[in-house]
Amino acid sequence: MKLALQLIFIFLLAFVLELFLPWWFIAVAAFAGGALFNSKGNFLAGFLAIALLWTIKALLIESSAATTLADRVASIFMLNKPLLFLVMAILGGLVGGFAAMTGSALQGSKRRNYY
Amino acid sequence: MKVVKFSVSLLVTVALILLLNNGWTIKNIPIPPLGKFLDPFHGFWQNIESEGQTFEGALDIAGLKAPVTVHFDSLMIPHIFAQNDDDLYLAQGYITAYHRLWQMEFQTHAAAGRVSEIIASDAVLNFDRSQRRLGMSYGAKRALKFMESDSVINHCVKKYTEGINRYIESLGYEDLPFEYKLLDYEPEAWTPFKCALQSKNLSKTLNIGDKDMEMTNALKLFGKEVVDLLYPDNENPGDPIVDNPGGWKFKPINIDTVALAMPTELIKIKKLPGPDPTTGSNNWAVAGSKTSTGSPMLSGDPHLTLSLPSIWYAIQLNAPGVNAMGVSLPGAPGIIIGFNDSIAWSMTNAQRDLVDWYKIQFEDQRKDKYLLDEKWIPTEKVVEAITVKGQPTFYDTVCYTYWGPVTYDETFRAENNLSGYAFRWIAHEQTEEVLALYKLNRAKNHADYMDALNHFGSPAQNFVFASVSGDIAMRIQGKFPVRRKEEGKFVLDGSKSSNGWQAFIPNDQNVAYKNPARGFVSSANQYPVDNTYPYFVTATSYEAYRNRRINDVLARTNSIKPQDLMRLQLDNYNLKAAESLPYFLSQLDSANLKGEELTAYLTLKNWDYFNHAESAGASYYEAWWDILMPMLWDEMSKEGVELQRPTTFQTIRLLKEQPTLNFFDIQETSEKETAREVLRESFSRAANHMSEFKAKHNDKVDWATYKGSYIGHLIPNMKALSVPVTTGGNHDIVNAHSTTHGPSWRMVVSLEKSGVKTWATYPGGQSGNPGSKHYDDMIDRWTKGQYFEMLFLKNSETTSPRIMTTTTLNPTTK
Repeated sequence: MKLALQLIFIFLLAFVLELFLPWWFIAVAAFAGGALFNSKGNFLAGFLAIALLWTIKALLIESSAATTLADRVASIFMLNKPLLFLVMAILGGLVGGFAAMTGSALQGSKRRNYY
Repeated sequence: MKVVKFSVSLLVTVALILLLNNGWTIKNIPIPPLGKFLDPFHGFWQNIESEGQTFEGALDIAGLKAPVTVHFDSLMIPHIFAQNDDDLYLAQGYITAYHRLWQMEFQTHAAAGRVSEIIASDAVLNFDRSQRRLGMSYGAKRALKFMESDSVINHCVKKYTEGINRYIESLGYEDLPFEYKLLDYEPEAWTPFKCALQSKNLSKTLNIGDKDMEMTNALKLFGKEVVDLLYPDNENPGDPIVDNPGGWKFKPINIDTVALAMPTELIKIKKLPGPDPTTGSNNWAVAGSKTSTGSPMLSGDPHLTLSLPSIWYAIQLNAPGVNAMGVSLPGAPGIIIGFNDSIAWSMTNAQRDLVDWYKIQFEDQRKDKYLLDEKWIPTEKVVEAITVKGQPTFYDTVCYTYWGPVTYDETFRAENNLSGYAFRWIAHEQTEEVLALYKLNRAKNHADYMDALNHFGSPAQNFVFASVSGDIAMRIQGKFPVRRKEEGKFVLDGSKSSNGWQAFIPNDQNVAYKNPARGFVSSANQYPVDNTYPYFVTATSYEAYRNRRINDVLARTNSIKPQDLMRLQLDNYNLKAAESLPYFLSQLDSANLKGEELTAYLTLKNWDYFNHAESAGASYYEAWWDILMPMLWDEMSKEGVELQRPTTFQTIRLLKEQPTLNFFDIQETSEKETAREVLRESFSRAANHMSEFKAKHNDKVDWATYKGSYIGHLIPNMKALSVPVTTGGNHDIVNAHSTTHGPSWRMVVSLEKSGVKTWATYPGGQSGNPGSKHYDDMIDRWTKGQYFEMLFLKNSETTSPRIMTTTTLNPTTK
């Protein structure tokens, strides 16, 4: 439950930050999520939140796309489109995961719960 | 706080971000910053446009004096309505940059020899060095000098520049064109100098051809008699552009000097690759007496290396005093080829020798001085600093002489360190093309057209013209040096200033005529003029086939409709094959052919000489030709000595008329071959080659498959962004689409009194963004030979169902 809330928090904060700030602010969102919630699976929450956010956003763009630029980009990287999505999700996820872990390490022990 | 866990994961996070926020080069392959690039909120995903996406630029633009209305039609062609010239060109710059910013900057970087800043490789560095050693920026600086000295053009170029910069300033990372993200760099500010560079690009594409060194070597190796046989000044295939015998009633400039000394040396340099000699363009105009409407019609069909983003950007420009439409070159203000309410014009390249090479003798290896008119004159040394991405700057010293830059010396493609070859090129002269086009966009009649062209210096072009008032005309315009007989064909002695260009042909003595009796004018890069024209004319080569086919069709067609002219632009008749294949086949031992050779023979025998996409005969013929040429002229492929093969036309003539010519002997065999043996051997190899091709391509031998045409992206070898196309045609054919070159803008204009009507198409689309449907939305129709009727609006209030969106750009004081 805590992990789910943490995931949603990171997802939403990262979404808002991405609207105005460069891509690496996803790390700030995940860091905050890690520090505030400190669940049992900080890395997992950070990883999944960003991987999902990026995947959903990319899928939304693809759903209304008039062209096959994503396929062209995939072929520049010698991949296909599903693999391009996977690479994107993993890279974003890794940043999110490690940032969440960093945030969670701010808290020494489980003495404080946010909610 | 868990200090260790915190420190380690913080370190990993920061390292990851740095890794993904920067570009890397792994095994010479550049990798964009992956986090930045793949982030769907800012990265390349943001370049993917939706189906109904419309213009999304800013609406308030500093520098405008009054509101500007822009209608975008269904092809995304902008129709700009401004209240004054300044606003018109500012808006043109802004809107063009909106669609084509990356392309225009990349092309001007290429012109200036700055591609290494973006892509680091040896090939790119060599390209950059060659651009600098050809003096591209040196020529552009002179062009800029004129732009700044003319008050009208100064304004027009400055406002255009301002428009581009307003657009660049509005961009964040997420808005950058796709290629910036992929190659990981950012646009710099535009300048009027870049406009000048863009015009030098065109000059380099069209007017840099020469064969001085090849001819000098041929003279040394084969002697003057053979040179005259293989490379005649005029091959006389018939039908010069302007055939007006006895009509040249002026007093020509006569350069009264001793005959030029012929060079006697063998030049050992590795010449820079020149423009493809088989490219060219078509244009023609038909008088009202030959059309179904009674009004003149004009056809424009420039052929260039096809690329994406497209070479041309279609646009309508309207302000008090001008209502013109056509294609512009992104990075240059105004319209280059097009029409207005009163006239239409188009261009083909004028084949003329506008390049000379002068042998320079340096005093010593320091190259501080060179010999000129018996004196040692100091060279001017320019140190070119070439910034290379991720590597140290490369410095290249280029010596400038009286003639121009010393392109070749021992540090660049030549061996001898006491001599060099200096380059004199028409595009180094100060010329006024922007003013010529400014006036042409506003021309109302033949007199205005003549006046506008007086300002056009380079690249020299054959300008076709037609007007609503009923005139048709052709004028070969450019700055042409007055040449002595044989001058310009060989490398010249650079130690005598008297070997230089002494004068230019006055504008009113350039080849031109109006309303000829035959009822049409045309040009297709052939020999310019009948032999009563009093000036010596020479060029690298002249076109011999397209022009005769065009003239043949136009001469026998009456009551011409626009569709007839479209059909002619798409004509696949292979006149070269019709003139050579029957002879080639007659030389074969046809009774004894078997297997693949018999198949080839029968396919060719039954071929109708049309290079249609589905034709198999065309594949066999072109394959045979491509194998035959190097076999015939094996003498021309000497290691370290540049030579040029004779033209297609001259080769076919010699095969027929002098089949026992020494050159036809294949050097590597002990027997003595004649035309017949070479034809048989090359036929056999071609049949074999076709059978292999067939096996590899599911038994397909149709011409389109064999030709394998594609439209390549401007980034070299970027296959993923290129588009393959299935078409007929070829070089030497009116529909001149070879593998990579072809019709870059097909336009047919009917100049009717009730209003000018135009049909056109080009192989690409208005947007340079590979994520936009307008990146390549015209290719399909272009491939099928279909046209779009152009929407040409009378004024900003005109309505049309084809106007998709309308935007008003407003001045702001910001």
